[in-house]
Amino acid sequence: MNLELNKINVLPVRTWSWLGVNDTSIQEAIPDIKPYTKNPVKSDGALLNNIALKSDDSDRDLFSSVNTGIGEEAVDFTKEYSNCGMSVRVPAGMNIKEPVYLEYNLDEDNPAAVELNHIIAEDNSEITVVITYRSEEKCPAFHSGLSYLYTGKNAVINLIQIQLMNEKSIHLNNIGAKLSEGSKVNLVQGELGGFKTINGLRADLTGNNSIIDINTIYFGDGSRSLDFNYVVNHYGRQTHSNMNLNGALMDKSSKVFRGTLDFKKGAEGAVGAEGEYILLFNSGIKDVSAPLILCGEDDVEGKHAANSGKIDEDKLFYMMSRGLDELSAKKMMVEAWFQPAISRIPYSSLQTEIADYVKERLSHVKSI
Amino acid sequence: MEGTERNKTYVEDIDRSIYDIKDKVNASFLTEKGLNFGIVNTISLEKNDPKWMREFRQNALKVYNSLELPKWGPSLDGLDMNNIVTYIRPNTKMQASWDEVPEDIKNTFERLGIPEAERTSLAGVGAQYDSEVVYHNIKEEVKRLGVIYTDMESALREYEDMVKEHFMKLITPKAHKFAALHGAVWSGGSFVYVPPGVSVEIPLQSYFRLNAPGAGQFEHTLIIVDKGANLHFIEGCSAPKYNVANLHAGCVELYVGENARLRYSTIENWSKNMYNLNTKIASVEKGGAMEWVTGSFGSHVSYLFPSTILKGEYSKMEYTGITFAGGGQNLDTGLKVVHGAPHTSSHIDAKSISKDGGCCTFRSSINVESAAVHTKSSVSCESLMLDDNSRSDTIPVMDVRTDEVDMGHEAKIGRISDNAIFYLMSRGMDEMEAKAMIVNGFAEPIAKELPLEYAVEMNHLIQLEMEGSIG
Repeated sequence: MNLELNKINVLPVRTWSWLGVNDTSIQEAIPDIKPYTKNPVKSDGALLNNIALKSDDSDRDLFSSVNTGIGEEAVDFTKEYSNCGMSVRVPAGMNIKEPVYLEYNLDEDNPAAVELNHIIAEDNSEITVVITYRSEEKCPAFHSGLSYLYTGKNAVINLIQIQLMNEKSIHLNNIGAKLSEGSKVNLVQGELGGFKTINGLRADLTGNNSIIDINTIYFGDGSRSLDFNYVVNHYGRQTHSNMNLNGALMDKSSKVFRGTLDFKKGAEGAVGAEGEYILLFNSGIKDVSAPLILCGEDDVEGKHAANSGKIDEDKLFYMMSRGLDELSAKKMMVEAWFQPAISRIPYSSLQTEIADYVKERLSHVKSI
Repeated sequence: MEGTERNKTYVEDIDRSIYDIKDKVNASFLTEKGLNFGIVNTISLEKNDPKWMREFRQNALKVYNSLELPKWGPSLDGLDMNNIVTYIRPNTKMQASWDEVPEDIKNTFERLGIPEAERTSLAGVGAQYDSEVVYHNIKEEVKRLGVIYTDMESALREYEDMVKEHFMKLITPKAHKFAALHGAVWSGGSFVYVPPGVSVEIPLQSYFRLNAPGAGQFEHTLIIVDKGANLHFIEGCSAPKYNVANLHAGCVELYVGENARLRYSTIENWSKNMYNLNTKIASVEKGGAMEWVTGSFGSHVSYLFPSTILKGEYSKMEYTGITFAGGGQNLDTGLKVVHGAPHTSSHIDAKSISKDGGCCTFRSSINVESAAVHTKSSVSCESLMLDDNSRSDTIPVMDVRTDEVDMGHEAKIGRISDNAIFYLMSRGMDEMEAKAMIVNGFAEPIAKELPLEYAVEMNHLIQLEMEGSIG
């Protein structure tokens, strides 16, 4: 079937159209969407019995006013074709130590996953959800995810999403989050594979003292393209946001990153910071960044920092002086570049898998 | 701080009394309101354009009619071209002596300090009143160096080939709707040519005054700084306030030759009924340097983004700008840079202050093309919010196509730091002194780039009056 979504990942405030960052669109042939027949749950049954894995209509109502990063067309698509996903409601006061671990391994029998998740952490509860997306070699797979997150008072949601799909796969990852007073969302995203990736997040920090901490890594090689749209709206007082991206681009790959911190009037004492650090390896890449700070309140601190360029020559020289050849040293530095996000993943096996995946991708590289 | 009411820093409105004095409109000719082929042809005939310019105007109008209003930026709903008079010729010819300028016009420029500045610190002055330049003069010793500084109409007659080669080549009518409008109805402005190797040690200045209500000003500034030459050009502008919309859609085209340097300073203080939709572009050859210094204080709505095309190897640009938006102002300012050659560099230092419901937007684009290896670019953008009725938005975009680049970007938005006040008070200052020092310090990087008398004017424009604690 054909997927066509227009005016997605929309920049909250428009700028010059010739820059091509106001929005994006996707028109791609994707596998037919059939029921997803695998069980993606890796966590043990005892854990899952402790939490409500089914949501009811009232949970869906909770998200009726929550917007997402990619936008309405993607939401409608996912809701119409959803063939997998989970709904979790963590009861008040419950701290689930063991992560809920889901794996989507797409293959010829299950080439398309359209995932709809509702994750609700009631007051003073905590949950960690780890989701991985892979596709079998040579299988042109498709994943479209829509995750709604809601944190009650002082609740914590840790969401880790790692995408390691092959170079023929298309990946859409869409999040809408609403945070209550004193609550926190920790988000780790690894956008390391796929041919085309569209990633959007919108988080509304409505409760005072609510916090969102985002750590994302991405890796583009070949002719892969990545398109991000992160929007954090500070409504509550003393709300905090941190958006940190480490990326690497080589060959003919391209990336557009839109990152918006929006301090609404009344968000007194809010603090937001976004940082993007990009390693570039050759001419011919396309690296576009649009880090917006919108401000309707004076008593805030909003900061943005970005740095892009080649690998630090001094560091490279140091590593080569320790006996590594240039290519090996560079590869090692790319692996190290992703460590800040990888180290936040609660499974060492997954950490190793990501490191191996990056290493494997780099093994094809003859020079950088 | 929660639960206690924070007193806010109070920054006084700009004292506009000098700028707001209105002269009686005494035009020798003016077109009817609106825009059509008849009006454009009338302007062309009145100005005795050569044929190619008449055709250029007509084509630009066609482009204007085919283009849409921008879909980004502040609202232009209050601007109705059907209510704008595009050409008003004052009742005087261009003079080279202030004594021959009509009394009321001369008094206006006297109040603005232009003749005095000319006597003390400028190499030449041009003064435009509504649609035409009423005064133009250049010091003899500068003229002897081969420097040409004249109004655009004279340049079109006397240096037609040079004008034809450069006029609206950097800013074509297709650039956007108001560039097309400019192409159709442009009038006035300055032409400067600095020959190879000539350094003009003291600045030239053009001042643009729009006196008539409901009028537009569309001056064209064309500056060519040849190989190894050096120039500082200052542009000032103001208008009295009316209850109807006025429009400014000038164009500035700057050609910076090999190893040449051009500094272009602007103090913009249009009245708060002005739609300031100005376009400025510089093209810089090998080893050349372009420096923009800009202070935006006036206008109801501004769209102002000086653009630089770094064409030649080792060319560079610096941008130092401050924007101050008070009540009723929505000022969208910033810049564009295209790094098109190896070893180019750009350095941007932008500041803004928003108060009393004013809205400042910093908008920028930095494009590094694949050929522009060994490019360096650094952007620093700081915004100060003085109350929660105002807005301050930062919308930068960076597009990089090569790895051989060192790109750094920093942006900060916030209010004056309590810690900074506390620190200064711990060093013996009272609270008022500490606050004044912090706000003045914020604008200081811009002030220090201006000639002294303009720095004084800028400080005059940012008069600070403090009360209570800053917050």
